[in-house]
Amino acid sequence: MNISRIKMWALAIGFTIASPILSQAQPNADEGKKLYEANNCGSCHALDKKVVGPALRGVHERRSEEWLVQWIRNNKKFRESGDADAIAIYNEYGGAAMNIFENLTPAQVLDIVEYIKTAPAPAAPKTDAPVGPAEPQADPSTKYILLILVVIFGIVLMVLGRVKNTLRRVAAEKDPSEGEFLGDNRKWYLKMLPSKLANMNPTVLAIFITLAVALPGAWYGYKFAITEVGVQKGYAPTQPIAFSHKLHAGELNIDCKYCHSTVEESKSASIPALNTCMNCHKGVQATEKYNGEISPEIKKIYAALDYDPQALPGKEYGNNPKPIRWVRIHNLPDHAYFNHSQHVVVGKLQCQSCHGPVEKMEVVQQWNTLQMGWCIDCHRNTGIDAANNNYYAALHDKAAKDLKKNQNNSQYFGPDGKVKITPAMNGGLECAKCHY
Amino acid sequence: MTKKLNLAVASLVLVFLGTGCVSRGNDPGWEYAPDMYYSKGYEPYNQGDSFTLNPHGMSMRTPVEGTVAVGKSDFHYSLPNTGEGYEAAATQVVTPAGIDQIDTRGKYMYEIYCSPCHGASGNNDGGVFKKVSTLKPAWKGYTDDYIKNLPEGQIYHVLTYGKNNMGSHASVLKPVDRWRVVKYVKLLSQGGNSNAVASNASTMDSTAVAK
Repeated sequence: MNISRIKMWALAIGFTIASPILSQAQPNADEGKKLYEANNCGSCHALDKKVVGPALRGVHERRSEEWLVQWIRNNKKFRESGDADAIAIYNEYGGAAMNIFENLTPAQVLDIVEYIKTAPAPAAPKTDAPVGPAEPQADPSTKYILLILVVIFGIVLMVLGRVKNTLRRVAAEKDPSEGEFLGDNRKWYLKMLPSKLANMNPTVLAIFITLAVALPGAWYGYKFAITEVGVQKGYAPTQPIAFSHKLHAGELNIDCKYCHSTVEESKSASIPALNTCMNCHKGVQATEKYNGEISPEIKKIYAALDYDPQALPGKEYGNNPKPIRWVRIHNLPDHAYFNHSQHVVVGKLQCQSCHGPVEKMEVVQQWNTLQMGWCIDCHRNTGIDAANNNYYAALHDKAAKDLKKNQNNSQYFGPDGKVKITPAMNGGLECAKCHY
Repeated sequence: MTKKLNLAVASLVLVFLGTGCVSRGNDPGWEYAPDMYYSKGYEPYNQGDSFTLNPHGMSMRTPVEGTVAVGKSDFHYSLPNTGEGYEAAATQVVTPAGIDQIDTRGKYMYEIYCSPCHGASGNNDGGVFKKVSTLKPAWKGYTDDYIKNLPEGQIYHVLTYGKNNMGSHASVLKPVDRWRVVKYVKLLSQGGNSNAVASNASTMDSTAVAK
């Protein structure tokens, strides 16, 4: 009796002491949220969709707390202990092992589970937002329709004018008093001219006017032919995916070579494989901008790859990929050879020196003319880094020595008085360097 | 009045015609002899319906399965992209001979292909991670014990196949460059300063590393 009473007292005291500790041990969702973020759980998991690992909502119903603690803290050891569920989920996700989080105490793991349990369900997609089809975009053909309309109206006006004149002439023949309205175009145009010109000999005037119109016209035509025909500077076609260089190269500061990776190896700078897009866009879906949906532009990548982001690892890629048909912007004629690796590796040129500030372009446009004169100017004026080029050292030394003997060649000397070796001096103006 | 209108309309038409042939937007402008501008032969990355023999009309074809191009034998990697492959990489994949030192090429390649996410010194503070923090891995940076103790073979395996949110970089990094990057990552994980290799970066001879 006494003993049991002592036991009871002991229990009572024990509970009183332990109760604050016990109440502290209650899982705390706020604490769990902090831990969830601090340990970057979100890099592999989301609450409502599969990311790298499975969706987490309702995990406390699927697994016991004890199971979760063991799995989260050290899933490798847990699997090796032979737990069938642990091995099953590991195999279901293609053997992509979860990281080990032994830095978390079991209580902390339960905090995280509590956070997952109590996390608010995602807001239902806003129905008041305009869901209908997007604003119809200006069709490029409208420009041509307008142009055609203007031409048609012009012709109609001219025809009407003719008809009117004819009618007047007919009217004048019937009634001579209408004669002053006789449609004489020459007289009318002469009236438009300053009086001095109007009093000139008509033949001289005709020659004068012809020259005044024809010479500028010919000059304009010539300039147009050499600077516009076949020169695609400013060409900025709409691409099948609205990829923004401004965002990727500018804001995110991704090196050009990350995507155009063969630029140092090959003639072509390469259009990146979709694999390169997926290095980020496996995880980046810009859902926050599109009401919880995957961005329509990123969906195009997935569609081209036949990729299903919600499929289990190993089954994400289907069998029907279709390459994306990007529109070529920079086009050199067949008979001109240009090699990217030569210019980037040996010439140490920045991409921007030819392609312009691409990192500021939302839609890429051709920045330079790519005309031959433009190539030649650069070959004449750009200095070569001759000091660090052992292969041509002898050649450069000889050029420097020979040129000193002939001071008339001032164009070969830089502002420091030293010989400036340019590609032109290395044979960079030879026809067959580029045309063969 | 009519004549003035005529003049105005005619000049408008001329202006329209003139601007119609200048290249801008979707319009490449006027071209003289387009059959000289656009190659009939296959250009890299061309795609056309006339290339009927190639899949999707592409000018490039994937190599025949099971073949290795001359000089590309180091592209062969036998471990599979599975959990077992990753485990096996720890012991079975070893740095090839000749890549035992950290060279400037490793730093150079790291700064192109890794730093957009992992940051210049491997602190997970690159532009992409800054903007999309959910992509960040569970470890804080390369100096984390996790990376410090990660076998080089496994880093190579991850570069080749990707892991979690990171994709495969096999199509942009040659095997030899992947190893140089692995070495540089290891240097950063030991707290190595990127300046250690930056000092001789200027002497980088790009022809020396071409392989």
